[in-house]
Amino acid sequence: MNAREAILGRLKDDSEVDIAAEAAALLGTPERPAVDVAHVEAEFLARLALPSVSASHDVIETISDLPAAVARYLDAQGEARALCLPPDPRLSGCDWSGFALHQDAAPDEAAALAIARKGIAETGSLVFETSPQAPMLPNFLTLHHLVLLRVADIVPWLEEAPLAGPQPRAHYWITGVSGTTDIEGTYVRGAHGPRFLHVILLRGDFPHMSEQ
Amino acid sequence: MSGAPAEATSFKARADAALADRILKVAVERTAGTAEAKRAVAVDAFPDFQAARTRAAAIKDHVVAHLGHYLEQFEANATAAGAKVHWARTADEACDIVIALCKTAKAKSVARSKSMLGEEIGLPHALAEAGIGRVETDLAEHIIQLADERPSHIIWPAMHKTREQVSALFKAKHRTPHEEETIAAMAESARRELRTQMLGADVGISGANFLIADTGAICTVTNEGNAELSLVPPRVHIVTAGIEKIVPSMPHAVHMLRMLARSATGAALTQYTTFYTGPKRPSDRDGPEEMHIVLVDNGRTQMREDGLAEMLRCIRCGACMNHCVVFRQIGGHAYGGTYPGPMGAVLTPVLDGLKQSRDLPNACTMNGKCQEVCPVRIPLPTLLRGWREKSWREGLEPQSLRAGLGLWAWVATRPRLYRIGTGLAVRAMRLLGSKGWIRSLPLAGGWTRYRDMPKPAAQTFMDQYRKENGR
Repeated sequence: MNAREAILGRLKDDSEVDIAAEAAALLGTPERPAVDVAHVEAEFLARLALPSVSASHDVIETISDLPAAVARYLDAQGEARALCLPPDPRLSGCDWSGFALHQDAAPDEAAALAIARKGIAETGSLVFETSPQAPMLPNFLTLHHLVLLRVADIVPWLEEAPLAGPQPRAHYWITGVSGTTDIEGTYVRGAHGPRFLHVILLRGDFPHMSEQ
Repeated sequence: MSGAPAEATSFKARADAALADRILKVAVERTAGTAEAKRAVAVDAFPDFQAARTRAAAIKDHVVAHLGHYLEQFEANATAAGAKVHWARTADEACDIVIALCKTAKAKSVARSKSMLGEEIGLPHALAEAGIGRVETDLAEHIIQLADERPSHIIWPAMHKTREQVSALFKAKHRTPHEEETIAAMAESARRELRTQMLGADVGISGANFLIADTGAICTVTNEGNAELSLVPPRVHIVTAGIEKIVPSMPHAVHMLRMLARSATGAALTQYTTFYTGPKRPSDRDGPEEMHIVLVDNGRTQMREDGLAEMLRCIRCGACMNHCVVFRQIGGHAYGGTYPGPMGAVLTPVLDGLKQSRDLPNACTMNGKCQEVCPVRIPLPTLLRGWREKSWREGLEPQSLRAGLGLWAWVATRPRLYRIGTGLAVRAMRLLGSKGWIRSLPLAGGWTRYRDMPKPAAQTFMDQYRKENGR
């Protein structure tokens, strides 16, 4: 008997219950942090500012304001106007003159920009999904992680991260910067990944793009 | 001292050594104390944590009751997403599968993201035996690897190390170590050291905090982001996961994640929570070409049959050990197994055998604190008592203890004799004490070496009872 048969053989389930129905019933109305659904943007920004998340943010009206917002951030940080930019037409359509752009992240990448699929007010999390236009590695290698998030994509709870349907290779939530408490429980930022997280909220829409 | 090999000594010897180690006590107290305080704040801020615990326990019980169904569902969905699912009955089978996969991939080095299951099955040792280089990428596991020690906590494996010890270690082993004596500079040194190694690894190995049955995804959580940096660049991603890690769907995982982060570190969520579903898609720009998931039993089906199903609820948060008075005194190494603290005292007899770990269920004060804080309501004291009873039934207790208890039982069933005996003992003990305490007691040196014994009251309860009632 192979290992699979041996293990499953010991886990035979002769019960007549409707397993799917039982699983659904277990969810019911889950206990979760209170979120003022009428003010999800304010709730999201409040969580972003918590010491445990400690992300900065900026607000722009249209996507054409994006390069200026990125320049503002990099200048303030004393970083060069160099940026790892994923091959996403919504980003490459902007006027990036004055920036040194590249698609592949260097091992010591200084700044990378990405678009979040959702923002979660409950935790201040940003939701990402991999795709041909959205690589994953730059968001972990970079020192400064810049994230574009449409205000319309902020949702109250984690359950509303895009969960249903076919899954991408990786679906991930980022809630703050890379941190560790592994030495004497003392918190240090930038353990392996980003040391700074900067969210740029877009009040308008992505141009010429159909709804995702 | 705290890194002494567990196999070589008895639990009593290890606990003695740990109690005498003042630095260890300080190190454990700093981290566990902080974790306890942070959890309390997080739990107070949560709307109805007690109801959420009940729900979490019910979700896990449902999964364990229908484990076969969910494993098959997970396997079908993971396979459809392009992952290859493997099954292992034992630790050795699991290691053999991983080593064979590494050899097929011609791996010279693997990057490992902290996984307690990997420790449980002895994967670090198996990789070394196979001559495959291993880079531990979690900062604490990196410290442990450099020091050639074992983890002493499931969330903070290096909690027994002080900053001075870590500094000395990094200075001896890192290529360009820190100069400034700060914890931030030490973390930066590890970042420099590990980054190139992670990017150059041939295989990334992780555990899974959750397996999502209806999508075939595996979920990892970290605060450092080391899992993603270990698992995205290599050509092959291997997951080793206990079969009890299944949850039915993503919304169920969301509930468990809320419980896990708050119970472990007091955070609302870990910094990085990632769901990996199969390998890289054809036009993706990064990700591994192959994904393998090894589903490991290693005693879990047996636990389900042997009345330990409740222990399969465990989500490895570490709250039980952070709140355990025994763990806080002796740290994790003294337990001698992969898992320390109350959950470790329940699991170690399953993994290493009751005969050699029967001291662990006895090293419990039964104060019930672990059960109070467990996010999935595992009745840990009850399960520990179950091991004590089994140990007694199987005759594993030493002859001296059996004879002593037999004598006590004989006397205790003879009330007159018992009263005379306790009356004499109280008088004798009062002669040995001064100012309310006994500093040294014959036959109880193990107790009085580390703390004084309270001097008994002048009269026994029965003496006073008789006096009060005029009999």
